[in-house]
Amino acid sequence: MTAEVEARPAVVRLAGRAASGRSRGFLMALPPMVLIAMFIGFPVVLAFGFSLGFTGGLNRTVALIGQNVHAAHGLAPTFSAYAEMFTNARFLGDLFVTVVVTLISTVLVVLLALGVGLYLKFSGGLIGKVLSTLAVVPLFIPVVIASWAILGFYSANGFLRSVAAQFGLGFPVWSYTLVTVVIGSVWTSLPFATLLVTSGLQAVPQAMIDAARDAGASFWRVVVSVVVPMAGVPIIIATTFTAIGVLGSFTVPYFTGPNSPNMLGVDMSNYFSSFNQPQQAVVIAFVVFAMASGIAAVYVWANFRSAKESGAV
Amino acid sequence: MARTGSRVLVVVFAGVLALFIIGPLAWLAVRAFAASWTYPNLLPDGWTFRWWSVVFSDQALGIAVQNSLFFAPITVLASAVICLPAAYAFARFEFPGRRFFLIGVFAANAFPKMGLFVSLAALFYALNLMNTILGILVVHVLGTVVFMTWIPAAAFAAVPRSLEEAARDAGASTLRTFFSVTLPMALPGILVAAIMSFLASFDEAQGTYLVGTPDYMTMPTQMYSLVLNYPTQVAAVFSILLAIPSVALLLAAHKHIVGGHLAEGFQIK
Repeated sequence: MTAEVEARPAVVRLAGRAASGRSRGFLMALPPMVLIAMFIGFPVVLAFGFSLGFTGGLNRTVALIGQNVHAAHGLAPTFSAYAEMFTNARFLGDLFVTVVVTLISTVLVVLLALGVGLYLKFSGGLIGKVLSTLAVVPLFIPVVIASWAILGFYSANGFLRSVAAQFGLGFPVWSYTLVTVVIGSVWTSLPFATLLVTSGLQAVPQAMIDAARDAGASFWRVVVSVVVPMAGVPIIIATTFTAIGVLGSFTVPYFTGPNSPNMLGVDMSNYFSSFNQPQQAVVIAFVVFAMASGIAAVYVWANFRSAKESGAV
Repeated sequence: MARTGSRVLVVVFAGVLALFIIGPLAWLAVRAFAASWTYPNLLPDGWTFRWWSVVFSDQALGIAVQNSLFFAPITVLASAVICLPAAYAFARFEFPGRRFFLIGVFAANAFPKMGLFVSLAALFYALNLMNTILGILVVHVLGTVVFMTWIPAAAFAAVPRSLEEAARDAGASTLRTFFSVTLPMALPGILVAAIMSFLASFDEAQGTYLVGTPDYMTMPTQMYSLVLNYPTQVAAVFSILLAIPSVALLLAAHKHIVGGHLAEGFQIK
């Protein structure tokens, strides 16, 4: 009897705390959201309107300065800026290049990260430590420097060609080609993917691996059927983050890539600054964003699946 | 036999990875001390410190160093003030719009940076933020929100609630509990977030270039013009200078970053 009476205020207090947590939590979470809404959400909506031909309001200055602006008549949006880009052979070529570079770079990054992570999980030791440390180094080198260093390393008088020349051999010049763009993208994306994949693999219980081994599974069988599926969510997260990063990249393709065809990040900058066609630049941004959103959907799905599994939802 | 074979294979893989990661950096670093270099020699023709004095006596480059060292710490501070309360809220409170907010942070990160800066230009002209310190700070802080929200949120969430309850039961106030129990335990995660934010600001080039040139040049934006207008060796010296803070931070926080705080932060819960 007394216990019940005493228990009651505790329940009320807890419920009260949860209620105050709701409003307090909302208020505490608000500042970064306001920042994002003001300086990302709002300009993006504005730019989307501009890409559909709405040239009034805050878009007026840009529309006046810019050349080749497609304006909508009244309230009906016009898709002619999009139509212009999608009939532009150079844009279509660059779109293709962007997709291919993103695909190849992402696959290479995830394979490398898996290689390092698996070695660390199964063998560890000095080599494991060396591998994982190496893979994290690029995190701390500014991308501008990395691009510049990679450009020199694979250039006509770069290291690889110099070494080959010592033996009287030839070696291709990779600088200012899409090869260095892929190399640069892999270089800069590797640390992040490695950290995520490695920590995901480390979380796979050793007991499960031992059990599969005892049941007679080979090393590769254990990797494919036990370890990788159990670390599936971190691997998907690493993959999507890498793909989104490469897709929207600018510095690496700008420094190390060819004039044309190159990635869409460079095109955006060219259309905005060099050609003074801001509307076309914005159209490219939304094409890239549309692709990134597709990838992002996979990321969000993977996260909520993992949250469900761990019982957080 | 197969064991030695695979061992050799792994060592070869490690060697190739080392060449791939470190090679370009070393090749560039040597250039900072090279008088001249004849292809296809593997070493320069002579050694010199001349390029270092060129950099240190160039006023524009010095100002760029100063600007970078000014913007990065202020960005971290501003970002921490704006984002850390939110990180705590994400970890500890269930509130309406929580999941929408979490996805919002991520969606903001998925929009291509170059496209965002192009879109921001219209707003910045309207608000008179072009070519201002505040404008650059806004651009820098935007790039840090993901780190400063997600990584500390995971760190706060990892503090066992039972410890907080115990402190409360022992009579500690909510604030006392936060500062004596929660904050110290979440500190490594916050440190990682601060370092990632510092590097993001230190590394930010595209937005600063669009908003700040020509009045406010930072080290990365200066790098853009350096690469085009100066001898390779000068850019090499500048690269080494630009990499020093990053490498110092790497050595200081390597354990925490590799220890999983970063990885933890990137899983929305």
